[in-house]
Amino acid sequence: MEDIKKAILDFAENSKKTKFYFSDMEKAVHKVLPDAKTRMIKKAATALINEEKLIYFSTGSSTMYGLKGRGQTEDH
Amino acid sequence: MAFEPREDQKELKYDELRIYSDEELNNYTEEELKNFKVKHDISMLEDLESGPWPSFIADAKRGALHRRKLADDRMLIERDVIEDMLGQLQISFKDGETHWKHGGIVGVFGYGGGVIGRYSDLPDKFPSIAHFHTMRVNQPASKFYHTDYLRSLCDLWEYRGSGMMNMHGSTGDIIFLGTFTEQLEPIFYDLTHILQQDLGGSGSNLRTPSCCIGRARCEWSCIDTQDMCYELTHYYQDELHRPAFPYKFKFKFDGCPNCCVASIARADMSYIGTWRDEIRIDQEAVKAYMGGEIAPNGGAHKGRDWGPFDIQKEVIDLCPTKCMWLEDGKLMIDNKECTRCMHCINVMPRALRPGEDTGVSILFGAKAPILEGAQMSLLTIPFMKCEPPYDNIKENVIEPLWDWWMEEGKNRERLGELIQRQGVSKLLEVLNIPPMPQMVKEPRSNPYIFWKEEDVPGGWKRKIEDYRARHAR
Repeated sequence: MEDIKKAILDFAENSKKTKFYFSDMEKAVHKVLPDAKTRMIKKAATALINEEKLIYFSTGSSTMYGLKGRGQTEDH
Repeated sequence: MAFEPREDQKELKYDELRIYSDEELNNYTEEELKNFKVKHDISMLEDLESGPWPSFIADAKRGALHRRKLADDRMLIERDVIEDMLGQLQISFKDGETHWKHGGIVGVFGYGGGVIGRYSDLPDKFPSIAHFHTMRVNQPASKFYHTDYLRSLCDLWEYRGSGMMNMHGSTGDIIFLGTFTEQLEPIFYDLTHILQQDLGGSGSNLRTPSCCIGRARCEWSCIDTQDMCYELTHYYQDELHRPAFPYKFKFKFDGCPNCCVASIARADMSYIGTWRDEIRIDQEAVKAYMGGEIAPNGGAHKGRDWGPFDIQKEVIDLCPTKCMWLEDGKLMIDNKECTRCMHCINVMPRALRPGEDTGVSILFGAKAPILEGAQMSLLTIPFMKCEPPYDNIKENVIEPLWDWWMEEGKNRERLGELIQRQGVSKLLEVLNIPPMPQMVKEPRSNPYIFWKEEDVPGGWKRKIEDYRARHAR
C-alpha cells in the first residue's frame, strides 16, 4: 500500500496537468508497480484523500484527483 | 418481506428537529405576494408565468418573499439569495449565455460525490449567489418518506441554504440548490448524524440507486425492488462516495416490465422483474371482462365512452408477438412467445397476473444523449434468480462488469459506449454468457457475434493463411 501511495504522490507532484482522472493515476502507478491491482490503487488514493494529501475535483458529471496545494486549491 | 435495517435506526424526534414554526413558514399573504417586486429586473422571466404550465418563477418569487420576511437570525446565508438567482437568470436570458461556473474542489471530507460546486461569474453584482453549491440527498427507496422527515429536511435547507430544492432530480435524489462552502460540512453533519440521511452520488461514481414502488404497493412486482436498492446502496458505499470509475454509473430497479422508473432508458445496468413460468389466468375473470362486469384498465380512461370492451381488438390483436387467442371462450397464451410487453396484464389485471417463478432480467448500457446519442439498454441476461443478499448478481455480474469497464473504458465513456466500441461479444465474454439468437438483429450488422474456434464443437480445419491467399482482406 505504501509503495502505491508513493507512486501516486510522485505522479501527482510531477504530472503536466494539476488535475487528473483516476485512470491516468492508475497508468502512472502501473509504470512503477505493474502488478498493482485497481482496487488497491483506489484504496491508496482514498487513504491519501483522508490524509489530506490528495483532493477530489468534481465537475458534477465527472471527478478528477489533484495534489492538495498544487494548481487550483481555493474555493474558486 | 419486513424491512430489516443494516444498522440500528434511532427514532427521530421531529419536534426537536424542526427549526421553523408554522407562522414563520406561512409568513406572507397572497395580497403581499401580488404586490411583491423582486429587487432586480426580471421582466423576461416573468413572461414564463404567463404560459399554461406552473412556473418555477412563481415558486421562486414565493420563496424570495418568504425569505425577505424572515427574521435576520433565522437563516445563515444571505436572505436575498433567491432574488439574486433570479436577477442573474434574467441577464443570462438577455445575453443568451450562462453566468454559472461549475465544478471545483468543494465537497465534504472523505466524499468524492454528493456536492457539486457552482459559482456565479458576476459575484460583485449578485454577492448572495457568489457560491451556489448543489447537494444531492440520497432519496429513501421508492421515495417513501414521512412528511415530518420532509419538513425537517426543508427546514435544514431553509436555515443553511437557499431553501430552493428539486423534488426530485432525474436520478431520483432530493436536490438542494444553492449554498455557501462554509455550510457544507454542517449540513452534512446534520443530515448524517441527526437525520440519518446520506448524500447521493455525483461525479465518476455509482449514482444514487433508484427503484419503483415495488412490492410495497404493487401486485405486479416480481422482485423486492426496495430491498435490492437498499442492499446494493449499502454494499457499494465505496463506489457511491469514492470516485474511481471512468464516468457515472447508474443502477435502477423496476419490479416488472412496465418499467415505472424507466430503467431500460436511463440506467447503465437495468434490473427488471420478470417471470419464467406462465402468466396466471383466471378464466372466470376473463369472462367477466368480456361481459363488461369488470372495467378494463383498472377503471382508468373512464372520462369517455369507449363502447363495450372488445378483448379481440383491445388485447389479442395488440399483442406484439401474437401469442394469444380465444379457444372455446377461454383465453389462451403461448407463453414461450411472450416478450413481457405487459399490455394484456395492464388491461385485465384481475384476470391475468405475472407468473410465480420470478426473478430479474438484466440489461446494460442505457444513457441519455451526451456523446453517441440516447441509447436503450441491451437485454443481456433474460432471467436470473434474485434473492437477498444478491451474491449471484454481485459476484457474477456487477463486479466482472466493473472490472472490465474500469480497465477498458476511456475517461468519460459510459458503459453503453464501451459495449458499442468493443462489441456485444466482448460483453458476453466478460460476463461468461453464451450468445443468443435474439441478440443478433441481422447477420453482418451490429451486434454481430463472431465465433471462436473453441466455441465450435470440433473446431475448424480451415487455415486462415490459405483463405487469405485467395481473398484479399
